[in-house]
Amino acid sequence: MEQPEEIKEAKDILQSLIKAKKTFRMYPHNNPIYIKTLDETYERFKNFFDYKDNFLLKIKQNSIAYDSEQIYYNPEKEDNLALFFFKDGLRELIFKNGLLRDELEEFLKIIALDFDREVIDDDIVTLLWEKDFKNIQYVVDEAFLIDIDEDDYATIAEEKVKEKITQIDDLMRAYTDGFHEEDVKGVSIVPLTDKDLQLLVHELEKDTSDKAEKLVAILFELIYQAESKNDLEDIFAFLRDTINFSMKHGDIYTTINIMKRAKDILDDPLLGDDEKKYIRMLYSYLGTEEVISLLAEILDSGIEIEDKFFKEFVGALDRNAILPFIKFLGELKTIRARKSVIEALIVLGKRDIQALSRGLEDNRWYVVRNIIYVLRKIGDKRAIEYLLKTVRHGDIRVRKEVIKTLGELGGREVIQTLKDALSEQDMQVRITAVKALGTMGSEVAKKIIIDDISKKKFKEKDFDEKKEFYEVVSRWKDAEVFNFLIKALKRKAFFGRSRNFENRACAAFSLGLLGNKDALPALYKVKDSNNNLLKEFSVAAIRRLEHGH
Amino acid sequence: MDIKENREIRKSAQDVINQLSVILRTAQIHDPNNIAVTLAIERFLALINQLAELEQNVKLDLIGEFFYINDIRVRYSLEYLLNFDFIIREFRKRELGSVIFKGSIDFKDMQLFLKAFIAGGFSDEPYETMLEGIDESKDIEIDRLKKIREGADVDTRKVIKKIYYNAVSYSKGVMNKIKAGEKVNIKKAKRIVETMVDQILEEEKLLLGMTAIKDYDEYTYHHSVNVSILSIALGQRLGLSKKMLTELGLVALFHDIGKIEIPNEVLNKATNFTDDEWKLIKKHPLWGLKAILRLKGLESSSIRSSIVAFEHHMNYDFSGYPKVRKNTELDLFSRIVSLADQYDAMTSSRVYSRIPLAPDKALSIMMERAGSQLDPLLFKFFVNMVGVFPIGTLVMLDTRELGLVYEANVLFAERPRILIIIDSKGQRVHGPTVDLTEKDAAGKFYRTIIKTLDPNKYKINLAEYLL
Repeated sequence: MEQPEEIKEAKDILQSLIKAKKTFRMYPHNNPIYIKTLDETYERFKNFFDYKDNFLLKIKQNSIAYDSEQIYYNPEKEDNLALFFFKDGLRELIFKNGLLRDELEEFLKIIALDFDREVIDDDIVTLLWEKDFKNIQYVVDEAFLIDIDEDDYATIAEEKVKEKITQIDDLMRAYTDGFHEEDVKGVSIVPLTDKDLQLLVHELEKDTSDKAEKLVAILFELIYQAESKNDLEDIFAFLRDTINFSMKHGDIYTTINIMKRAKDILDDPLLGDDEKKYIRMLYSYLGTEEVISLLAEILDSGIEIEDKFFKEFVGALDRNAILPFIKFLGELKTIRARKSVIEALIVLGKRDIQALSRGLEDNRWYVVRNIIYVLRKIGDKRAIEYLLKTVRHGDIRVRKEVIKTLGELGGREVIQTLKDALSEQDMQVRITAVKALGTMGSEVAKKIIIDDISKKKFKEKDFDEKKEFYEVVSRWKDAEVFNFLIKALKRKAFFGRSRNFENRACAAFSLGLLGNKDALPALYKVKDSNNNLLKEFSVAAIRRLEHGH
Repeated sequence: MDIKENREIRKSAQDVINQLSVILRTAQIHDPNNIAVTLAIERFLALINQLAELEQNVKLDLIGEFFYINDIRVRYSLEYLLNFDFIIREFRKRELGSVIFKGSIDFKDMQLFLKAFIAGGFSDEPYETMLEGIDESKDIEIDRLKKIREGADVDTRKVIKKIYYNAVSYSKGVMNKIKAGEKVNIKKAKRIVETMVDQILEEEKLLLGMTAIKDYDEYTYHHSVNVSILSIALGQRLGLSKKMLTELGLVALFHDIGKIEIPNEVLNKATNFTDDEWKLIKKHPLWGLKAILRLKGLESSSIRSSIVAFEHHMNYDFSGYPKVRKNTELDLFSRIVSLADQYDAMTSSRVYSRIPLAPDKALSIMMERAGSQLDPLLFKFFVNMVGVFPIGTLVMLDTRELGLVYEANVLFAERPRILIIIDSKGQRVHGPTVDLTEKDAAGKFYRTIIKTLDPNKYKINLAEYLL
């Protein structure tokens, strides 16, 4: 390769690295753009290595050079690749022929990290060092590791330690004494046996166990050794940090362990009130937005958490976790995660219906619907007061959910609302309302439905809606309903006959569901009706009454 | 790769080197076509080709005192010691650093290698002769030993000093910063420890040598660095990965950080401690834990550092401090740091007992403690690491020379390199350094250690000789 062409190739490689640095930050590893960028960059290296064995970059603060030729310059602080390497002490980067695609990918992953924004405990050099690449080498200037005022430390320390020259007299005394000393016996090298090596392997295997658990054990020990409030303050701050740390690493087990230990010692007579106060504060901490947001991340990440452990975790939470859970309910991306949060809210909401009901004010309709679902599952009538305010919600899905829930919760206070809902514009809402009344099953509810069906304008409803109403009314298996339905079955009309037939067909359907065989004569009378709908439904009702299907 | 598989590969690696040594020894006595040699080659081929099936290429490197196969250090039991020693010497003699077996090797390739190896032994340019000799082989390649260079020793010592003092300076900076409530840069600590790990992996004895000098004014900072170096060196013997060694080095560097809370007048007190002072001293593990956890947000290394800071005086049998209600097994790193800490403290002049011990005496005491205060298994590895005559030991030789142990010998612990400071005529000298493994034509060692003396008793300034 001739010189200018080589420089051009070097520039191209560098540009590829810059592009890949951005792409890797933006896309996940399975994204086609990520893969394409990696492939292209790797291809460039491979082409280069057809002619040269090494690709060596010399790094200065604002520039990068290849073969003494500056191939990159950026005087700015932002987006400066040279400075990015330079600030951690990197002075040379060498890519060697034989570079593997995997090595390049790992290298790009490192340079793509956002060191300014992410919490990364290592700098570039450490990350490169840990990777121990075979075909990517680097030269580092370690000078910056020394504090400026300690610049001379080595010289001073060395001069000082050498100051006390060994005196010739002392030396000669040692020499003379040496002849009178006992012969050496001391320690002999203890031979290492295969058994020692086996024991060592066992030790190393054991060492992989979680260190956070050990720290937790120590911290709980320290609760007993605390001598002041300050000590307790520290210990509990560390426990909170441990919770935070382990949750950030997708581990809820350490937190469960902490809470179990906390529970175990809460009743220990050896501990004073202060200690117990801090333990209770720890419980509260668990329910803060800080911790719940971490839990939400874990749930969304797809990390498998056994149901048993999730329940244990939720069991340790206090009611202050309700509001953070509601917040994250609307932010979670996966159905699985949302289901878990809903489960948690069902458990926690029982302790504070009022707090849970605040979720009804959320501006995300799906969150409101989920909260209504949770309230229904809890089944506490105290929720009615809050639910009633949601009946006029702008989203029909919410209105349906709340009506359904009101029906399940029952009680006098919901009657009027459900009755009003029967006149809602939306058919689905009306159907939900009648079903809710049916769920209530009270005499008042029955009367409301019968009255509604009896209204003149009822027959104007769609057949499907009418059928739902009649189906619901059949749940009251009493004479009043029986007579009402027989009457409806027999009702004749001069005007709007087809609508009337629909009503009668629905009455036949409802009589079949009611299960009273006394309806058979009336049904037989209409089974040969010229109206197909009435005929079909009455035949079906007879079959149901006579044969049970 | 699972642990069992790993263990098997390690065993195979040990057998490979041992068998290679057997071939080379046999070939030095017999003709390459002799049945003894061919049998040995057959055995070697069975081993190397089995390994090649798993690993494709098998690269054998001699780095410092150790062999590595595909970057894994080969540990060996005592029965192989002589063969390992032989092969290391033969490799060095030929400036041979690496042999790469590419895929499946056949008999012809090995014969070619053997011939080249033997020829190299008789040549003034051994490596070049070998290289020429195996030129025809497609499946075996060699590489030169990296450390044999003119003047390299001097340069390396300079680098070592720089690494050591960097670490001490950092350690001092950290302690001062924590005292002043300033932010501490852990990234820097990692970088410093990484350089120490690199150095120890390359050639542990030089950096270990730096720990032998104890007369510094700023004991606490030097002690932290010494414990870190000794721990890394022990960790290396235990076969810990580079990443683990860094973590260990970092943890060890911070093990005594709790001492910043102890007033200087107590810490540097010339007389024995009072009961109250002892109480203060015994608090430093707890203070250490707190200081580390307060340094910055929690991370894996700070968790481990805090555990070690808390446990490093508890002792293997929990007879130490702090006392806890329920004892749980000490962390591996705590047990390592505890060994390094005791050894460095005992051999230093500003410790609780106030009487610095000669290194070999310190080891004797530690031996008595192995199994009670100290982990007996780790102690075995520790003794193997520092040797029976650790660097800085003052010794009398059977040649009536007085010297200081200058470099340990991994294979023959009782035969280190010695810097002569009084010659056989009783004259003060500065050198030469002699290797106690050297023998005369009759196979008798030129020099042997017969007595050890305490350099502190005679106010011998090791820095004058070892730095």
